Order: sequence, then C-alpha cells, then structure tokens
Amino acid sequence: MVQASKLQTMFTDMVTARYYEERLQEEYLEGKQPAFDISAGPIPGELHLAAGHEASATGVCQHLRDDDTVTAPHRPHHIAIAKGVDLNRMTAEIFGRETGLSKGKGGHMHLFDPEVNFACSGIIAEGCPPAVGAGLAAKKRNEDSVAVAFIGEGAVSQGAFLESLNLASVQDLPVVFVIEDNDWAISMPKDRVTDVADASQRAGGFDMPGERVDSDDATAVYDAAKEAVGRARDGNGPTLLEVQVHRRMGHFMGDPESYRPEEDSAAAKNRDSIERLASELRAAGIEDEEIDELRENAHDRVDSAIEWAKDQPQPDPEDAYGDVFVGPESGVTTTETTHELAGDTRAGGDD
Amino acid sequence: MSGTDRLEINTADVWPEDADEDEGVVTNWFTSEGSQVEEGDTLCEIQVEKVSVDVSAPAAGTLSEIVRDEDDEFERGDILAVLEVA
Amino acid sequence: MAQQDSAQAIDRELTMSRAMVEAIADEMRADEEVFYMGEDVADYGGIFDSTQGLLEEFGHDRIMDVPISETAYIGAAVGAAQAGMRPIAELMFVDFFGVGMDQIYNQMAKNTYMSGASVNVPMVLTTAVGGTYNDAAQHSQTLYGTFAHLPGMKVVVPSTAYDAKGLMHNAIRDDDPVVYMFHKRLMGIGWMPAPDGPKTPVPEEEYTIPFGSADVKREGEDVTVVTLGLHVHRAIEAAEDLAEDGIDAEVVDLRTLVPLDTETILESVAKTGRLVVVDEDYRSYGVTSEIVARVAEEDLASLEAVSRLAVPDVPIPYARPLENEVIPATEDIKDAVRSIGS
Ligand SMILES: Cc1ncc(C[n+]2csc(CCOP(=O)(O)OP(=O)(O)O)c2C)c(N)n1
Repeated sequence: MVQASKLQTMFTDMVTARYYEERLQEEYLEGKQPAFDISAGPIPGELHLAAGHEASATGVCQHLRDDDTVTAPHRPHHIAIAKGVDLNRMTAEIFGRETGLSKGKGGHMHLFDPEVNFACSGIIAEGCPPAVGAGLAAKKRNEDSVAVAFIGEGAVSQGAFLESLNLASVQDLPVVFVIEDNDWAISMPKDRVTDVADASQRAGGFDMPGERVDSDDATAVYDAAKEAVGRARDGNGPTLLEVQVHRRMGHFMGDPESYRPEEDSAAAKNRDSIERLASELRAAGIEDEEIDELRENAHDRVDSAIEWAKDQPQPDPEDAYGDVFVGPESGVTTTETTHELAGDTRAGGDD
Repeated sequence: MSGTDRLEINTADVWPEDADEDEGVVTNWFTSEGSQVEEGDTLCEIQVEKVSVDVSAPAAGTLSEIVRDEDDEFERGDILAVLEVA
Repeated sequence: MAQQDSAQAIDRELTMSRAMVEAIADEMRADEEVFYMGEDVADYGGIFDSTQGLLEEFGHDRIMDVPISETAYIGAAVGAAQAGMRPIAELMFVDFFGVGMDQIYNQMAKNTYMSGASVNVPMVLTTAVGGTYNDAAQHSQTLYGTFAHLPGMKVVVPSTAYDAKGLMHNAIRDDDPVVYMFHKRLMGIGWMPAPDGPKTPVPEEEYTIPFGSADVKREGEDVTVVTLGLHVHRAIEAAEDLAEDGIDAEVVDLRTLVPLDTETILESVAKTGRLVVVDEDYRSYGVTSEIVARVAEEDLASLEAVSRLAVPDVPIPYARPLENEVIPATEDIKDAVRSIGS
C-alpha cells in the first residue's frame, strides 16, 4: 500500500503536468490559427507535449532525491515537474526568455537544471550514456545517489541505449532506465520497428533485471520503481523498467496524426491515469474537496508560472555569443613557460 | 459566353472529413491565372487544421480567376478559383 | 537560369518537396532497385514532406519506415548499394548524423577508394537542414561544410524546385554516394511557409542537372555573392534592395559543394572584383573559407575585396532574438556587400 501522503504528492505532480501541457498547447496555438505557422505565436520552435505520460514520471521520481540525476528525452515536461525542476524558470525557457533555465539558449527539448541534476537531449537515446556517467561518478565517489534515464519506446533500437545497458550492467552502476511506451514513435507503431513487444526483455541480453508495468497506473509504477531505485541505491546495479503510457496529443504540436486510427486516439483519451489515481485517493479516505483543492492549487501554480514567464524579458541578441565555454578560451593559462629541450630548433641561439 | 462553362472551385467540396475547424488557408498555388489545365491537375494546396489538401481541377479548361491567393484565409464554402471549362 | 529553351514556356509550378518527390517517383517507376528508407517516410510522408504520396504508389516494401537506428539503416543502405541496388536513405535532420556517422564517412564515403574502386556505393543520403524556426542547437544546423570536407561523397544543396528535381534525378542515377541536403524552409510545407523563390515552374518530364555546375541566379556587375540553399533567396532579396541604391550584385548559387564549380565563381569575381560568401553553416573551417581560399589561390589579382557571412561559431540558440542574431539575414547580406564598397 502506498501511503496517502505519497498518493497526494503523485496526484499533484500528475495534475500539474497535465494542466501544464494543456496550457502550453493553448499558448502555443496562439497566433497559429487558422494558418499553422511554426514561427508564429509566443512559444518558439517545436513542442512535444506529454499528456498521458504523467504516471511514469511521478511514480519513478517519488523515489529520487535532488542529488539523483535524471536525463529526459525530447518530451521532458512531466519528468522535469516530477523531478522538481524550477517551474518558473523552465516555463521562461520554453517561452525563450532571458530568465529561463538556459537564458533562452536551450528551449523546450533542452532543459537543464543542475540544482536538481536534471538534463535533456533531443537526440533519441542520447540521454542514456550521460546517465550511465552520473552513475559511474556516484560509484567512484562511493555515494549512494542514482541516475535515471527516461526514453521513449522508439529509442530501444538505438545503439546509445543498448550500449548503455551493457556498460551499466558490466560495471554494476546505479542506473535505472525507464522506457515510456506510448505505442508510437511519431507515426511508427511499435510492431513495425521491433519484434519484441515488451522492451524490458532487452534487459535479459545484458543480464540485468527488467520489468514492465503494463498500465499507466501511478502506484504500480511507484512499486516497480521503488525496487529498481532501491537496488541501484544499494549498489546492486542497474534495472530496465518499461511503463505503458498513452499519447493523448499529437507527436508534436501541428502533427495532423493522419496515420493514427481514430480508435487509437480515442482509447488513449479514455485511459486516464489521473482519474485512476483520484479513485485511489478516495479509497484511501481522501475527501473530494481535498482532491479538488490539490487540483486547483496545481492549476494556480501552472497559471502563475506561465504568467511570470510571459512577463520576462527577451534575451539580448548579443547574448548569443556567450556561454560556448565557461572558462577562458586559452585554458588555465595565458602564458607559456619556456623549457630547454634537446635538439629544439626554436631555442637555437643565433637570433 | 457560348461553348464555355464557368465552374467555381468551392472549398466546401474539398474540406477534410474529420476537420472541426471552419477556417483554412491557401498554402500553395501551382498554376497561375490564364493557365490551361487538364482534368485532375493539382491546382493548389490548402491547409485546414494542419491537414493539407490538394485541390485538383474538376475538368479541363482555363483557370480564369484565382479568388483566394497564397496565404489567404478562407471559410468553408468560399470560392478558391474559377475555371472556364473547355 | 540554367533552364533549357523550350518551345512553350512551362507554367506548372511545384514546391521544392513536390519536385523532389516527382523525381524519386520517376526513378522508382523506372528501376525496381530504387527504394527509400527512413523514419516516418511511409505513412507520414516525411516530416518535411520529402516522401509525400510515395507510399500510396509504391507500398511499404519500397517506402520503408525503419527503426530509430541510424547506424543500422544507413549502413544497410551502404550494403544494399554495394550489392548493386540503389537505395535512398533519409536522415530526418542532418543534426542526427552523429548517431550514424561511421556508416556515412568511414563506410559509404570510403569503400570505393579503399577497394581501389572495385566496389562502388550507388546510394543517396537525403537529409533536412537549416534553422529559422527556433528548433535550437540539435535540430537547426546545416553542416554543409562537414559533409563537403570529408572526401568520397558528393554533396548537393538545391535551392529551387527546378534544381531540386534535376539534381535528384542525377543523384539517384549516380554510381557514387550523394548526400542530398534539402533546406526545410524551402520545401513549401504548409506549416513552415517558404520565402518567394523556391517554388518554380517544373517540367513534367525527367531531366538531369550535372553536379559541379553553379547557377547564376541573378546577374550583376558590381559584386559577387556566392551562396547556397536558403540564402540564395535571401541574397536575391538583398540584391533587389541594393539595386535601388545602384549596387548591382550577382548571385551565384553553388547547387553542389562536391564537386564545386570554381570556374563560375572565378568568372564572376573576374568581372566584379568583389566577393561576398554567405553560408548558413558555421563560419570557421567551412564553406565561406573554402570559397575565398579558392578564389585567392586562382585569381588573387582580381580580388579587390572580400567578406564572409556565416553562423558565428556558436551552436544555434533557441530564442528568436538569439537565433536571428546568428543566422545571416537579408539585412546582413546588404551590410556585408556595402562594407566592401563598390
Ligand atoms: C537520433 C534521432 N533520430 C530521430 C529523431 C527524430 N525523432 C524525434 S522524436 C522521435 C520519435 C521518438 O519516439 P519515442 O522514443 O517512442 O518517444 P515519443 O516521442 O513517443 O515520446 C523521432 C524519430 C531524433 N530526435 N533523434
């Protein structure tokens, strides 16, 4: 049994993430109707929303501390929220503002918050190796922090993922790989790109434990992740976890989804993990008013983050040139000591 | 005029089936006013709710008038162009 | 424009994506051995419309969606090509090249040479390039210079529908590997409106455009602007504005980087004496330096003034003011031309 207070935290994460995506969708479409021009409206660039993925992020991140590392893919908002990334600054980043997490340089697919050890990559599966590296650092330093790499099921045929499984396994590193299986990789259904329906089976080939949570049930994810994160924290090596989630929206905003059967979209919308968790809250004796209040507080937090973000200044164009390196270009020195080297022609004394 | 028929090309005839939206935009014209077209030639491309639809010539003839230009918005039932059927 | 004289002017216009697709479809009809592999190329029709409509005619066997495994499917294209087929493999964004680069530059590009030309690799690697829509550092690069730098692959960068079709025919029929880099902003996609220019009249029949033949897209006497891809259109726009101030700019569209048509550039510079090179790739060690170096080597005497304009050696930032700062704009081209006098 998951404690009532945990259920409440998970519910809060989930409604925050869901409402966040719904609000971003609205903001993103501002100025994009009827003509959908990707360059119009207040939010720049592409936008991959994660409505339907919430149970996986919250169920896993409940077991994480700020010093645990999380890497997320191109669809990162729900994971960032569950990991405790600063919501205001993340939102400002998504709106491309100066006070954003990355001063407007990274954007929605590239959120970095070192305060809570959160990072992203927009390149499929490429967040896995750095997560392995975070696990390696923890092991070398004898710390009990862990690393979690989130990916989509589309990433399980990628070398960076498979190589990471192997490296984490052979080095017994404290890493949990979490596959969010939403059945689709853009327009490609899983069965067209892999013969293995349950990707947690990939673990077997690397002699590590693998488990699949077959429904996007936050408490089932919570239980599975408890074991996986616990194993990593105790120094017993990596785990591969797959969680069934659902894609309630298009792959990205502007995806006409012409490839997707109507029934599939409808089924995704009907399977609501948030409602499922709400009934668990009720079963745990939490009153409806309290549930509504959790929901309202979450909505208020999102609304105020968006309002704050939209009020933030645009970056100064000149800022584009900074931040390529953190240190001086010349390295740690600007001078070169001279050494007498045998046969060194530069040192020759006739000049 | 004798021997020719004016055929209006109506957006309602090509509206994507599952679109809820009643507005769209012309994304591309592939022919210009005065051009001869064959039946089935793609005349233009419109976008409704992010879905692109090719509009083809219902008959051979001359494209006598483009009513909605590239980037113009329109509503369901608006006329895109007029074809003088040969 | 390097178009053939024909009795009747062609007035059917196509977007660049439709022109590319028309060439691919023609080649697939003519040769059973041509097939297309990539992510979201079948049912989706290519994220940037690069394969729109092909699935309906050719089916999933020849328009193949592949797993997100760039190393495996690009490498498989190399293998199928060496077996004599004519695969086209699509890398959805050029920025993803890192994932499959070994297959591209150590296998595809080198197997011919390493085998003493006993093996050849007749494949096309198509890929989307470019920014201007705030997709940030991992989805906005052109990387023209990277591919052109490594020997063993031809590198094609069309800027109009007319060129796109003729170059695609030539690419698929080529017995050597060709990297075909199409700029997203030029494709004519509904959700990413193209500038005026890439949509052109396109003949229905097939035709080939030779590689290594740059196209003078606008003739001028005072200054030569050498560029490619999206920036051909920005340069033409700049030239029209400059013309109002009495500066007559010639715009040379490279069309292919490998082989490079140095001759056309030299002829133009011999006439104008002034060279501006505009590129959407990083400034250092890239296309702009290469063009300037070639002119300097071959005809230093004609070269009175030089300027180059490119992305200033920073990753492409996300926010609009930042991205606009680093990608050369029409105004920047005008400034560069003015800065070297006339
Ligand atoms: C190496 C690489 N190849 C292709 C892409 C383009 N791409 C972005 S998201 C995506 C689909 C990913 O599917 P999945 O991993 O299942 O995650 P989902 O989007 O469904 O959450 C693809 C192919 C990419 N970003 N990186």
